[in-house]
Amino acid sequence: MDTYDADGITLERVEEYVWEIPQEGEMNAPARVLASEALLDEISDDMTLEQLKNSTHLPGVQKYAICMPDGHQGYGFPVGGVAGIDAENGCISPGAVGFDINCGVRMMTTNLTYADVEGHEEELVESLFANIPSGLGGGGVVESGIDTVEAILERGMDWALEEGYAVEDDLAHCEDEGRRPDADPGVVSQKAKDRGKNQIGSLGSGNHFLEVQRVTDVFREDVADAYGLTEDQIVVLIHCGSRGLGHQVCTEYTREVEQAHPGLLDRLPDKELAAAPAGSQLAEEYYGAMCAAINYAWVNRQLIMHRTREVFERVFDRSWEDMEMDLLYDVAHNIAKKEIHDVEGEERELYVHRKGATRAFPAGHPEVPSAYRDVGQPVIIPGSMGAGSYVLRGGEASLETTFGSTAHGAGRTMSRTQAKNEFWGEDVQDDLEEQKVYVKAQSGATVAEEAPGVYKDVDEVVRVSDELGIGDTVARTFPVCNIKG
Amino acid sequence: MTFELREHTADVAVAADGSSLDGAFAAVADGLAAAMCESVPADGARFDLTASAENREALLYEYLAELIYQRDVRGVLPVDNQATIRHDGGAQEADAWQLDASARGVPLETVDAREVKAVTYSEMRIERTADGWRAYVVFDV
Repeated sequence: MDTYDADGITLERVEEYVWEIPQEGEMNAPARVLASEALLDEISDDMTLEQLKNSTHLPGVQKYAICMPDGHQGYGFPVGGVAGIDAENGCISPGAVGFDINCGVRMMTTNLTYADVEGHEEELVESLFANIPSGLGGGGVVESGIDTVEAILERGMDWALEEGYAVEDDLAHCEDEGRRPDADPGVVSQKAKDRGKNQIGSLGSGNHFLEVQRVTDVFREDVADAYGLTEDQIVVLIHCGSRGLGHQVCTEYTREVEQAHPGLLDRLPDKELAAAPAGSQLAEEYYGAMCAAINYAWVNRQLIMHRTREVFERVFDRSWEDMEMDLLYDVAHNIAKKEIHDVEGEERELYVHRKGATRAFPAGHPEVPSAYRDVGQPVIIPGSMGAGSYVLRGGEASLETTFGSTAHGAGRTMSRTQAKNEFWGEDVQDDLEEQKVYVKAQSGATVAEEAPGVYKDVDEVVRVSDELGIGDTVARTFPVCNIKG
Repeated sequence: MTFELREHTADVAVAADGSSLDGAFAAVADGLAAAMCESVPADGARFDLTASAENREALLYEYLAELIYQRDVRGVLPVDNQATIRHDGGAQEADAWQLDASARGVPLETVDAREVKAVTYSEMRIERTADGWRAYVVFDV
């Protein structure tokens, strides 16, 4: 098959797993979908392709807008979307970053094996649920004033280190060492800070979770060795973002951009793509506010990890240092970052928008932490509660193919409403417990909405990433305990 | 006034009808509450809120964003929403459209509520119908 027809949109196969929507009309570039035919069947089942086409209307989009193998319909810009947009003559779009700025994921390794945890699962899941704030109105690990929020926005993980919630290695194993130097707390509104001050160190709800996992498979021994991963090892995965603070930043800047730049908005097919021209005051202000929210999200995940270490200490009666509970890596999903990329032989600064996509820089890239520079940046792809997750490394082809990006998860295929009609939370919990997966959530509805059956086949998503050379499979993990908001 | 939660792959959409624009806006707000919580107790004190914008769609966005903000800072789920809309400015004036609203704030610790992160402009529609007004809004969850 050389073309794929999807309800009025025709895609042309460029090569195996690469499909292109040719440039036409008001598109500023073609669009590409990275998928097998099986995944493309799911991707084309909702508005994903239309939203991807719409994203190419953003001025300054370079090469092509891209949909990752886990892509699905979002709002304005698809989830799983990547666009490299000229940072001098293009634009930056809050909607193409998303409301949950730096929603991301981190993995912590341990020296525990599955045998060490067996028999402790219920105690562990209960203790994690009791000690890690989650859900709506659940508070945070730190209840603070505005001064603390501003310090977090300014200094990110440096604040966590100064306050005793982190160690040096945590910073070294975090994207950008856990601090965006362009952060400007002064352009984050009082309302955003008000929302943020009681949520520092909280999971939230929806698809956010904390999961204790065991490593079931190692596919690349040398890379796994560099990452400190071995079969049967226990690891912890934390998935959450910048909470109400980040949501408020996106909400407000979408409106400010809409009002300040109506001419640009008139050229866009979806109001949610509202963008500020590169070089404008609003582009600079949004970038400063977004970077500050990125810092907040890193601290948020760090405090949850800190609390997790304390829970493990109580449950296993050993210090977290004895259990070698070290951060493998923390990587962002919803961001737009100024990065230098090769575009047609010329190095250019771009706002790389990754909405529901993961940075995946290959070996040798100067922004990969020194501990991993010889093997490539760790990429963590959470799957569903019944299908496990993956650790990848940034692939050799990622810079050329995807501006250094790959997928970020399994990607939903079913709405939450349909999920609640098809699944009953307690049944899902019982089924999972039969597979020795212990789940605790704020409500049964949340468990139903996140049932394994609502997600794409994460194995296929990761296989396509690996085949394309944008993210290479390193190891697979499977859940032991999961808590949800 | 009525609302329905509609299918959306990743998020939640609300379609709402009202005999007036006031009623349609309040019905969307009730849909927002329903997207977060399936059953709520009858307690909670009412509180007021306001919003203004340059056009109808922007006013709905500002109204729903304010409800989400109030939810987080007050620690309540806003339910039983009421809204009154005035249009008394020029076409391009930033506050041409004004909204006075109120909601009953159910304390979050008394309900099992899930978080809606934000209101979006994506696919937003506000249309006249034979019986009044209809609005469609996608929420990020």
